[in-house]
Amino acid sequence: MLQVKDGNLEKMGLLFERYHRALFGFLYHMTGQSDASEDLVQNVFYRMLKYRHTFTGEGEFRTWMYHLARNVLADHVRKNKHSVHHYDVADFVERIGGGTTADEQMQKEQELASLHDALRKMSPDNREILILSRFQELKYEEIARILDTTEGAVKVRVHRAMTELKRVFLKA
Amino acid sequence: MNCESAKGQLIDLLSNQVSVTERAILEAHLTNCPDCQAELEATRQLWGMMGNVPVPEPGEKVRTRFYAMLESVQIEEAKKRRRSWKSILRRMKRLLTPELAVRVAYSLALVLIGLAGGYWLSAQKAPVYEEQISALDTQVKEMRQTVLLSLLENQSATERLRAVEYTKDIEHADEQVVEALLSTLNNDSNVNVRLVTLEALAELAADPKVREGLVHSIVKQDSPLVQSALADVMVKLQEKRSVKPFRELLRQEGINDFVKVKIEQSIKDLT
Repeated sequence: MLQVKDGNLEKMGLLFERYHRALFGFLYHMTGQSDASEDLVQNVFYRMLKYRHTFTGEGEFRTWMYHLARNVLADHVRKNKHSVHHYDVADFVERIGGGTTADEQMQKEQELASLHDALRKMSPDNREILILSRFQELKYEEIARILDTTEGAVKVRVHRAMTELKRVFLKA
Repeated sequence: MNCESAKGQLIDLLSNQVSVTERAILEAHLTNCPDCQAELEATRQLWGMMGNVPVPEPGEKVRTRFYAMLESVQIEEAKKRRRSWKSILRRMKRLLTPELAVRVAYSLALVLIGLAGGYWLSAQKAPVYEEQISALDTQVKEMRQTVLLSLLENQSATERLRAVEYTKDIEHADEQVVEALLSTLNNDSNVNVRLVTLEALAELAADPKVREGLVHSIVKQDSPLVQSALADVMVKLQEKRSVKPFRELLRQEGINDFVKVKIEQSIKDLT
């Protein structure tokens, strides 16, 4: 990224290839919308180019990327406040390509779908921290840097979020 | 360890973020606490399930759009760089108010005064440089002569030719060089070298020593080419002293008919 900052924009391609999947995953879990997430990925990379002078090289590139992603996401949420996004379990099942296999398989898929649904019903803050720690597999330390908080606080929040997820999931 | 803090660390354990000691303490508690063990199992299951939640792959259009965007940004940057020069010039023009112009003129005047002062100071020192330069010049000339003299003794005719060519660059050939050239003219085994030497000496003919040497050389030449060339030089220099040696040459046996005619003509021209 430092090379990109110095004007070697070609190198941005490398960063895209390395990180766009993880970034898409984060945005997808946060929004539950595949198309919107694709747009947001584009948005994040655009901001990287536009604000490349703000990258200091002190923290990791990944941390900076999530910072930008959270800003882009916040804008997205603000803009779409009024358009209620209805999330459908059946849509999810269809998306993961199930529905026609054996009962056991189907049950598993149903479970995953309701877990996914539970994630959607959680408070956004708790959902975010679970996505960062579980789906993005980031360490507490890194999450703390992304959220501008301490490692201890992240630990407590992950625990609390997990408790919420359990409650929502078991209720379903 | 109580159950509450143990339950708070279950996720740390599952995500591999506990230290060795923390893990030991936690595991010790878990073996003695079926309640916490059950909790760990439930959490592990949920945690594992979360890992299985599929994420659709981003579509190929994400990549296409990204590279299109990258390219357009690159083009824009290139344009901006070109434009920035123009805008700098424009901004400078706008900044150049009368007040600033006076200031700039004042600074320029100061710079000029500085330059003039520096020039004056360096002019003071000039004689020293001049002396050094003329000393160097003399040294270079001396060195050239040394090289030239040693080249004249070279085995190769080409090298000797080159040496003679060098003498044309010397403005005031000193005695040593003249002597070396005359000796080459009289003794060199190669006709070409002798001809070129004659040419070089003719240019130095203002020197009476050179003239004298040339006159003496007449009888020493056996090559028709050099003899006729000498005749030409003598006529050109209007050197009357050469008449006597030419007559002597005519009396010699085996002289080339052509040269004979030429010398007779030269004598006529000189007398």
